[in-house]
Amino acid sequence: MTSYPVQMINDLLEGTLPLDEVARLQRDKDLDRVATVLELEQARVAWDDRILVPLQESLYVVERGDGARVVKCRCGQEFGDYRRNWKEEAAVYERHPQDGIVYLKYKGADPAWQMLREFYCPGCGVQLDVEPVPVGYPFVFNFLPDLDE
Amino acid sequence: MSTDIDSPGPAAAAGSAAPLTLREQLARTERAISESGYYEADLSLKESDPITFEVLFTRLLQTLTNAREIALSISASPSTREQGEIIFGLYTREGDAICLSTGLMIHVHTMSRAIKWMIENDYETLVGFDEGDYFFNNDSFIGGGHPSDQMLITPLFIDGRLEGWVGGLTHVTETGAVEPGAMGSSFTSRFAEGLILPCVKIGSGDALRKDLDILVDRGVRSSTSWLADNRAKLTGDMIVREKLKEIVAEVGLGFYRKICREYIEDTMRATREKVRRSLFPGRYREVAWRGVTLPGQESLLHSPCELVITKDGRLELDYDGLPSARRQPFQATLPLFEGMLFNGLIQNVFYDLRYNDGTFLAVRLNVPLGSACNPGNIQLPTTLWGPAYGGMQACAQAVSRAYYAQGYREEVHASGPLTSGNLAGGVDQYGRLFGSQCFEFASSGMYATSFMDGLDTAFSDFNAEGDMGDAEVWEQQMPQIWLAREIRRDGGGFGKFRGGNGIHSLYLIPEGTDMEMGSFGSPPIFSTAGLMGGYPAASLRVWVGRNTKLSEMLSDGLDAPNGEGLHTELPDFVTEVEAEWEYVPGQNYPARVLPPESLFSVVSGDGGGYGDPLERRPEEVLRDVTDGLSSERTALDVYAVVFTRDDADLIDGVDAEATTTLRAQHRRDRLARAIPASEYKARVRERLIAGDIPAPAAALYRDVLQFSAKWAAEFRTFWQLPDDYEVPA
Repeated sequence: MTSYPVQMINDLLEGTLPLDEVARLQRDKDLDRVATVLELEQARVAWDDRILVPLQESLYVVERGDGARVVKCRCGQEFGDYRRNWKEEAAVYERHPQDGIVYLKYKGADPAWQMLREFYCPGCGVQLDVEPVPVGYPFVFNFLPDLDE
Repeated sequence: MSTDIDSPGPAAAAGSAAPLTLREQLARTERAISESGYYEADLSLKESDPITFEVLFTRLLQTLTNAREIALSISASPSTREQGEIIFGLYTREGDAICLSTGLMIHVHTMSRAIKWMIENDYETLVGFDEGDYFFNNDSFIGGGHPSDQMLITPLFIDGRLEGWVGGLTHVTETGAVEPGAMGSSFTSRFAEGLILPCVKIGSGDALRKDLDILVDRGVRSSTSWLADNRAKLTGDMIVREKLKEIVAEVGLGFYRKICREYIEDTMRATREKVRRSLFPGRYREVAWRGVTLPGQESLLHSPCELVITKDGRLELDYDGLPSARRQPFQATLPLFEGMLFNGLIQNVFYDLRYNDGTFLAVRLNVPLGSACNPGNIQLPTTLWGPAYGGMQACAQAVSRAYYAQGYREEVHASGPLTSGNLAGGVDQYGRLFGSQCFEFASSGMYATSFMDGLDTAFSDFNAEGDMGDAEVWEQQMPQIWLAREIRRDGGGFGKFRGGNGIHSLYLIPEGTDMEMGSFGSPPIFSTAGLMGGYPAASLRVWVGRNTKLSEMLSDGLDAPNGEGLHTELPDFVTEVEAEWEYVPGQNYPARVLPPESLFSVVSGDGGGYGDPLERRPEEVLRDVTDGLSSERTALDVYAVVFTRDDADLIDGVDAEATTTLRAQHRRDRLARAIPASEYKARVRERLIAGDIPAPAAALYRDVLQFSAKWAAEFRTFWQLPDDYEVPA
């Protein structure tokens, strides 16, 4: 069975793996990857709750000591039960699509059509998601992992 | 390896004295697959001799790819010859794809659709199938994406019996539509899309009918692309057909039939296994955006994608929530939507499997009838696909999340670009009729991944191996003159890894022409999303300059404009050239007559960004600014990177300490301006109740609340609105 050195997978997660090595990973998959990545992700955070699945950049579904499965930021901020969209517990900002900070007039959307809805972690301020949506569009619930045994 | 095996598949179980018609066999085969879950019950040939199994498939693939390469050399069309907008496929007797060449992967399944349509409509009796016949189709409700997608299909006869089909497909650049270049953004009817031939027998005895050539010659602005591509496809079809006869003579007909079925079955099984191994089980949701900008029906269009991955490797896609089909061109036929999705899935998940209909058969797909991706009503235009392209973008993002959770970060990426460009027609400077679209947008900006920036001017989802084509070759087909073809600075979405920048081109309308020019793309929106904190790619736009003083500028010894420059607001060509400038946000600009010396500026589309921009490595920000790919303003405002400067005030490095301090301040600023989601929802709910919603979104909500019970229920539940809520007028 194909397997790769842990350091190689770590470099992939860090975004520093040379591209010819990335190409190797793309060509030939290692079936033990989930376990390797979970180990590496666990080592990257300062808390002890067990990571069940990395949800996306900065967010994990973890199992707490009391058995609860919650979404947690790498900074330690919790977002509640993983079956509920974590965005419901985020800090939200509606950015004008031509605010001159991110997009200028000639590269941004028309505010009558869309804005940029930004979701931040209330604990550390990391930007977790940007939804280019019109006013009134429900939060997109991007990922509900199937964790049932 | 010759053998007498004769297995016509699961449908053969019920014996019948009389030979089945094609229509009967198709119905029985599809019923048998549906009931059994198998395309072929066993893989005995693969299991008994796996080497031969692989070698023969490679020969089929080589035959198709060889035909494609030869056909490329025959075509005179830049989009086919320069960019490779062509594909060949081999099909079973019932029309299921066994093997395809490289090329336009969208059409893995669309030619299959057309073959089945002929069978279901009893062409066998009413029209007749003979060796050397060629059936042309560009009716997108039958197969293909829009009338530009043109297929030429020939039956494969062995010992006097129809044993399969060979098909070639190209994308041509002129169809005689109301607007030149086939892909106009103003169409309100399918009958504006030009000349449509629904599975018409245009050749027999390996020769094409001259009267139908004349029909095309007089029915479109410039027939070069259409007719030259037909000859290219006929040649490719013949090459494959004759090679197949040799192969069947060598291996035996029974062996050939069974192994073809095993190839499809093997792909079905491999598809499920790849899903099971690679993608984390769960429910994923993404949405992509398009819109209509026609007078009187300005509306956003969304493509809500729900992807379910099960633990046993099933992949289910549900697009319930799509808007309804209307009299506007930003929608797609079901064959095209299927093609787009499988094009995306093959690139993102099944790239190491055999490409054939086994993948299609292994995936469950729901696209509501009457929706913008399955209109049903054939009077509606489907020229520009709209939500189908978005549906593929959304699916690819969902798949990326599934890879991410499974640890395969090397497969994770943001949205690919919404590709866009210009079209033109009229009389060129030599007095010749012309009509075409420019496909340089095949080299748009690529998506950012979880490990690197998107490539600049390198990619399109619809033809991943496409190229932009030489400007000089395009100028022979479209008499616009390129004054600039450059990387669009700051076009790609910002992020920890940025999206690739697309192309900006500036065209001059030359003297001696009578030309109308337009473009197609999107309303003024972000149509290429970022992922996991990355920003979407920049919006598209057009600049049109009429009554320029260009000749006077050149006479005065000034330089011609050569690009957008280092501007932060207006592009250089607008400030440098005196003209009546028109700015068109978005890129939907129905073709209009432009006098000589007019200027026309379009962008090709850029890739979405990945991750929080404040986590981008400062040295990469510096590199982008130094290379002219990003602006100093962006470096400071978006990436919060502070540069050091030398004695001449030129940037010479990164001030690491100041950057760390500024980034911390940016994070604090975010939290200071944001509000809790609960408070945000309460505010927006009040706006919904008051009807304080801009018109393009209100039009979408009104439509989908009526059209999709599922989406309506979720919308009302999310905002805690009453069950009978409608957006107030």
